[in-house]
Amino acid sequence: MRKKTFKLLLISLLAISMFLVGCNSKTNEKAGSNDNNNESSPIKDTLVYGRGGDSTSLDPISTTEGETFKVTENIFETLLEYGDQDTTVNPGLAEKWTVSDDGLNYTFNLRQGVKFHDGTDFNADAVVFNFDRWMNGNADSFPYYSMFGGYKGEEGHVIKEVKAADEYTVQFVLSRPQAPFLKNLAMSPFGIASPTAVEKYGDKFRENPVGTGPFKFVSWKQNDTITLEKNPDYWQKGLPKLNKVIYRVIPENTARLNSLTIGEIDIMDGLNNSDEATVLGNDNLQIIERPSMNVGYIGLTTTRKPFDNKLVRQAINHAIDKKSIIDAFYGGKADPAVNPMPSSIEGYNDAIEPYPYDLEKAKALLKEAGFEKGFEIDLWAMPVARPYMPEAQKVAEVIQESLSKIGVKANIQTVEWATYLDKAAKGEFDMFMLGWTGDNGDPDNFLYTLLDKDSIGSNNYSHYSNDELHDVLIQAQTETEQAKRNDLYKKAQEIIHDDAPWVPLVHSTPLLAAAKDVVNYLPHPTGSEALTKVEFK
Amino acid sequence: MAELAKNTENIPLISTEEKLIPPWKEAWFSFSKNRLAIVGLGIVIFFIILAIIAPYIAPYSFKDQVLAERMQAPSSKHWFGTDDFGRDIFSRVIYGARISLWVGFFSVLGSVVFGTILGIVAGYYGSWVDAIISRIFDILLAFPSILLAISIVAILGPSLQNALIAIAIINVPNFGRLVRSKVLSIKQEEYIMAARAVGMKDARILFRHILPNSISPVIVQATLAIATAIIEAAALGFLGMGAQAPTPEWGKMLADSRNYITQAPWTLIFPGLAIMLTVLGFNLMGDGLRDALDPKMKQ
Repeated sequence: MRKKTFKLLLISLLAISMFLVGCNSKTNEKAGSNDNNNESSPIKDTLVYGRGGDSTSLDPISTTEGETFKVTENIFETLLEYGDQDTTVNPGLAEKWTVSDDGLNYTFNLRQGVKFHDGTDFNADAVVFNFDRWMNGNADSFPYYSMFGGYKGEEGHVIKEVKAADEYTVQFVLSRPQAPFLKNLAMSPFGIASPTAVEKYGDKFRENPVGTGPFKFVSWKQNDTITLEKNPDYWQKGLPKLNKVIYRVIPENTARLNSLTIGEIDIMDGLNNSDEATVLGNDNLQIIERPSMNVGYIGLTTTRKPFDNKLVRQAINHAIDKKSIIDAFYGGKADPAVNPMPSSIEGYNDAIEPYPYDLEKAKALLKEAGFEKGFEIDLWAMPVARPYMPEAQKVAEVIQESLSKIGVKANIQTVEWATYLDKAAKGEFDMFMLGWTGDNGDPDNFLYTLLDKDSIGSNNYSHYSNDELHDVLIQAQTETEQAKRNDLYKKAQEIIHDDAPWVPLVHSTPLLAAAKDVVNYLPHPTGSEALTKVEFK
Repeated sequence: MAELAKNTENIPLISTEEKLIPPWKEAWFSFSKNRLAIVGLGIVIFFIILAIIAPYIAPYSFKDQVLAERMQAPSSKHWFGTDDFGRDIFSRVIYGARISLWVGFFSVLGSVVFGTILGIVAGYYGSWVDAIISRIFDILLAFPSILLAISIVAILGPSLQNALIAIAIINVPNFGRLVRSKVLSIKQEEYIMAARAVGMKDARILFRHILPNSISPVIVQATLAIATAIIEAAALGFLGMGAQAPTPEWGKMLADSRNYITQAPWTLIFPGLAIMLTVLGFNLMGDGLRDALDPKMKQ
């Protein structure tokens, strides 16, 4: 009797292994046949884009989060547009513009004959309507509007007035010059929305976006797919090339790569650096590198104990070995960060000496701060793959281990992505991992946006507030002469380096993988790009 | 009355000394004849020893990261290879035995204690006490057990200890029902009636007579439940609801390495094998115990 059971066990084990082997060859066959289909059938015009997280909103102004812009770039357009792969300023919905000598008056001539997806005309009134809507909001509703120094009625707000001179001419009057003003206007959050739709949907506009872009919004299944279809009346004739775009959420980087391999998706972002070799070894796939303009960092919330103590923050800076993190989790394709912004950005201070990885020094600083016995904190790690940090949980474990060597016990925590950002903005985390992809290539967009006291509540997640820094950054915004601006930003980086509200970790080169037949995909350094010219070969 | 007394005197005395073998000896005899059960016992003892002497035999610490040596294939330096942090998998698997056995044993101990108490009370007192306790058991059993465990951990917060508590809670009704049914049948036995008739207190009857007589199926069930508990702990660890980094819990090791299944399969194979072996060991041992302790199977 018992012998029989044993035999049965062995046989079933064999059967299972045969089954698994069978599965394996089957998937291979399937992938092969899929390819054949592609070749024989007429040219594909639906692009399926696999990504790690869902958008938090589809109204670009209501968020600062990259997964949103990835989609809204296709639905909305801004007055000015960046170059295909750089942050130069080019005409967008505005064809021409002039600036007064004192830098306080900007006049834009708008493109004529453009219509929103709902049939509303795009004109000067629409632009005025949008700016009025944004400036009357607050850091909660329209966080990115703080790029213009604050909201209506606040002291720092730079836009005094936006008025329609005639149907296709808009005038901006500023209260003080703002050097990155034009670059700011080209940022994804300032996509011009249809006034009719905004009034019609009210709070629901974030689920029913209507813009002028190459694609129209069709449907959104939360945490699953967002579907867009071609805008047939798009003002650039002959574009877009694709008929339909589907954004699919596949949280696991490896699972996403598997989907790409078997042809379920056509392109993916957030490729693990460790998987690069796998993609290169597959004849049906290609690697696309995104130009780097980001920073991945560990924020130390300066309003919470023990990180309200500068010495503790400096100690943590000494305790993290960036080099080995980069070698292990970025495949060497990243630069260790010293400052909050990458060196490609003008005004980068290369004279700053990084805090060396030195555990003894870290311990000494903790002792000086009165934490000789260490302490216990929560270390929050992002739940999703981000371009600046494809494997946050893993990096968190490395940091946890490093910190344990200086007597700091870190408990790794995580929470769903939208909540994560929300809690971080409220300053509820002790220590957290985050990052930033530049929006406009200006140092202001890193230093002021991420670390000025004006940005507390939006992007200044470490709640770092320094009045001296604030003065320097505001001065730099107003200064229009580039050399003087650069000096001010260098000074700002010194202040930040000394106060150490962050541990700057890396500037990464984000990788995308795509099927071989996807062409004209031009990844933008800001992390989001319109798929206007993408097509299948 | 006198007549009756006389009759009793006439009953011949059985000579107990010769024929009665102690029950545990008899059980061991039948257990040791079951070869698979002995294998199971061997595996279990092996893992228990492994857990106890882990710090002495593990060549490395379970948490020391050497990022330069990540994902190395098994070699003479690292017998089971290294994981994605360059930690020695052999050492982690050995330390993992501590965690899995600890969770398995204590969660089951918890469910046995609470399940037995509730079961005895329900079975012995009956009526509305029984109704309430039994309905609670029914409710608990109506949930898929892992789902219930996940919700409990979600409320308490993810940690190894809370996972242990959750596993203990979901197993309580199994033991409760078992004990209750056993108590119900023993309650009707003549010796219990006799005890009642001589005026023995409830507590004494429960703990001196009913409990010892209903414990053997509980022991069998407990052995099998340890196996299930280990799997459940691993499942919770895999889902990120159990042990937290850097604890070398086997299920968590699987979860951490699943992205590397094609590049570094050893990061999954060894913790997976460890789970399989311990669970197999407890199951084989449990089966053997059941055969040994079940009076119906006696030859």
